[in-house]
Amino acid sequence: MTTDRSTMLEPSPGGTATKDPTRRFSWQWLQGFAVRHAMVVVMLFVVAFFLYKSARFGTLENMTTILIAAAPFALIALGQTLVILTGGIDLSVGSVIAASAMAAAYVAKASDGNLLLTVLVAVLVGLAAGAINGFVVSRMNVPPFIATLGMLTLASGVAYVIGGGAPINGLPANFGAIANTEVLGLKIPVLLMILAIVGLAIIMKRTSYGMRVYAVGGNRLAAEIAGVKSKRVLFSVYTISGVLAGVSGLMLASRVISGAPNLGQGYELDAIAAVVIGGASLMGGRGTIWGTAIGLLLIQTLNNGLDLLIVPSYWQDVIKGVLIVLAVAIDVWAAKRRTS
Amino acid sequence: MHTTHTPEAVATAAIECHGIRMSFGGIPVLKGISLVLEPGTVTALAGENGAGKSTLMKIASGQYKPDEGTVEVRSEHLHAGDIQAAHRLGVAIVPQELASIPEMTVYENLFVGRELRSPVGLLNRRAMMRQAREFLKPFGLEIDPAARMGSLPVGIRQIIEIVKATSRGAKVLLLDEPTSAIAEQEVERLYSVVRSLRDQGVAMLFTTHKMEEIRAMADRVIVLRDGNLVEDKPLDQLSDDDIVEAMIGRELEDMFPEIGVPKDEVALTVQDLVIGHGTEPVSFSVRRGEILGLAGLVGAGRTELMESIFGMRHPAAGSVAVGGRKVALGNPAAAIASKIALVPEDRKGAGAVLSMSVLDNASLPRIKSFSNAGWINNRKRSGSIGDIMKSMNLKSRGLGQSMETLSGGNQQKVVFGRWLTGPVDVLLLDEPTRGVDVGARSEIYRIIVDLAEQGMAVVMASSDMPEILSLSHRALVMRGLTVAGELSKTELLESSAQDKIFRLASGLEASTKKETENNDD
Repeated sequence: MTTDRSTMLEPSPGGTATKDPTRRFSWQWLQGFAVRHAMVVVMLFVVAFFLYKSARFGTLENMTTILIAAAPFALIALGQTLVILTGGIDLSVGSVIAASAMAAAYVAKASDGNLLLTVLVAVLVGLAAGAINGFVVSRMNVPPFIATLGMLTLASGVAYVIGGGAPINGLPANFGAIANTEVLGLKIPVLLMILAIVGLAIIMKRTSYGMRVYAVGGNRLAAEIAGVKSKRVLFSVYTISGVLAGVSGLMLASRVISGAPNLGQGYELDAIAAVVIGGASLMGGRGTIWGTAIGLLLIQTLNNGLDLLIVPSYWQDVIKGVLIVLAVAIDVWAAKRRTS
Repeated sequence: MHTTHTPEAVATAAIECHGIRMSFGGIPVLKGISLVLEPGTVTALAGENGAGKSTLMKIASGQYKPDEGTVEVRSEHLHAGDIQAAHRLGVAIVPQELASIPEMTVYENLFVGRELRSPVGLLNRRAMMRQAREFLKPFGLEIDPAARMGSLPVGIRQIIEIVKATSRGAKVLLLDEPTSAIAEQEVERLYSVVRSLRDQGVAMLFTTHKMEEIRAMADRVIVLRDGNLVEDKPLDQLSDDDIVEAMIGRELEDMFPEIGVPKDEVALTVQDLVIGHGTEPVSFSVRRGEILGLAGLVGAGRTELMESIFGMRHPAAGSVAVGGRKVALGNPAAAIASKIALVPEDRKGAGAVLSMSVLDNASLPRIKSFSNAGWINNRKRSGSIGDIMKSMNLKSRGLGQSMETLSGGNQQKVVFGRWLTGPVDVLLLDEPTRGVDVGARSEIYRIIVDLAEQGMAVVMASSDMPEILSLSHRALVMRGLTVAGELSKTELLESSAQDKIFRLASGLEASTKKETENNDD
């Protein structure tokens, strides 16, 4: 493209391109906004629809319900975002949830409610699974799809082994406190979700680590020539994804005060859907934490709203499937408008 | 809108473009271009990167719809966006980035989309192979149609792409930068393919910014500059200077700046480095302020040598030292810490992360110096990068602009400039001006000479002979993963230098290594 029409060069803080200024809230600005944030617009339409159809949807109580349901998904979707930004994928998160939930329940029961130990074990299970994924992908050069598919099966097996094939019930009452305690008026999972979203968004945007994740996903060879240790970066994203899945499993088990070996089954697909709806490229290098947060809220809002409208659950799946593809199609269309 | 033309023009023109205007995002790229191609002619479409060449090609081939203007193929209107219709009308484009499918065989590539089938509807592979061989034969290509496309040299793949287009009846062939990706020894073959197609009456238009290519292939030259057609004449009415001046829009000053005097202090020492599967080790040293040229054919080991020094590949034996201190091998981060910088040959594949902004790309190698405990200090970063990019005369909409929307020359400036925010003692340049237009090219030469004068030792691999001859203090010629010979500045200035380099590179002249090296044995 010709660039010589303007030789200006202005170091704009934050690194955002300064384009021709349009007046805020003008029709043009609105169009530009809609194209740039297509998914926010889709989200607004979905919310408006449910607000119109259901009186309960807009209540504070229902909003809280949506957030509580979203939290365990949010953690794995955020981890998944980092992995997808490097051009990889983590299929194992659903099973890691099950393994960490079962491990946490087992330890809670055996230690008679030692919460510190319980939390530690759940996080360690996630850490171990993620680190193994990271090692196999970065050092043994196994394609992420295969490596994490193996972990999916392995972790699921571990979950069943821990419980001897059965759920673990009859847990000490304080096990439920982990997910059900309120801090600053928010339940711990919701708080963790908000902290993770804000924290990771800042890390990805403002730290050298975040930049290196984007660089490795955008062009691994170029990143290496620039001195980025890409193997470390790859290792780290899978480890983070594993830890977040471990925490997610702990929250889910604590919420129902029991461990079930089939907990989290299939969650990886919802997490991937959230990331992709959020505008990330499965090829790596493109995507944002905010995008994933929007994608996640869109899916959770749909789940909640369709429940409120008493849509049978099989039909919910049909509607969700259509909307996911439609949402991404709109985003692709908008992305095309953005570049031209 | 309808344009009237004389009956002869209708009868003879293979393709006609009238008043083509096109803009992207409000920026005009083509400002009313008209051109007519006649059968059996080869026209060069010259211009710097960003002049609008590729856009014009895409419009002429029906991929883009122009904002204004028409494309007519043998008086039939070409509708944009309809690739089938373009095929039917016999217009084909061979894109810059190869469009072949590397995992499929040559004949499968030739027939994909119009496969030959047996009466029961199964693929008739034997017939396809036989026809493929017939298609390739007139061009002197003795290759097995069942060979995997990816296993062939890029130049051959490109010719197969051309054969694919013409075998489907293309009468108008648009070649986008046909030699940008291929090795020197393959270029000649491409020229002969183009000539034989011209004899068959095919009208060809190729984009280029290389003078030798224009001289070798074209009958006529069209020059675009900033979206305007500024020159359209038969080749024999134009001198090289005319064309270059039309391209850059000003008098061509001396392309190459004067090079300075190297200092005595040795910056880079390479000792007995064995590259890849090479048998002869490589030893040389480069002083501060010295520009060492690396000449050789594709595959001679120039890139491998640089990558070995920079730690991207682990040499089988040997050592690298900067300022007398050994550099840990096989580790780019260690090389960077030892003040070595590399500007790789494959800018898009290895130099830049295209999905990231100029700012992010430029700060990637030295991100630590812009951060405290991992937190990026954006003010410091944009300030420092902004200064460097200003000194490199980068043309961008701002540091936030995405790399992929910059022209090749400006991308190269970013890949260059990003090292300069920190100390560099050894600068490795692999084909520093590949895919860079004439104007930006002389700026890059200026930068190289300036950096050497500041005390950097520069190693510059180049396939561009004038670059080696005019810009280096000394040149090594490589062949077979080792150094085949060395030319001093005086030798480089002799008129026989080019010939000597070529003979060394191709093995016609025995290696001068034994004579020049006294510490051997």
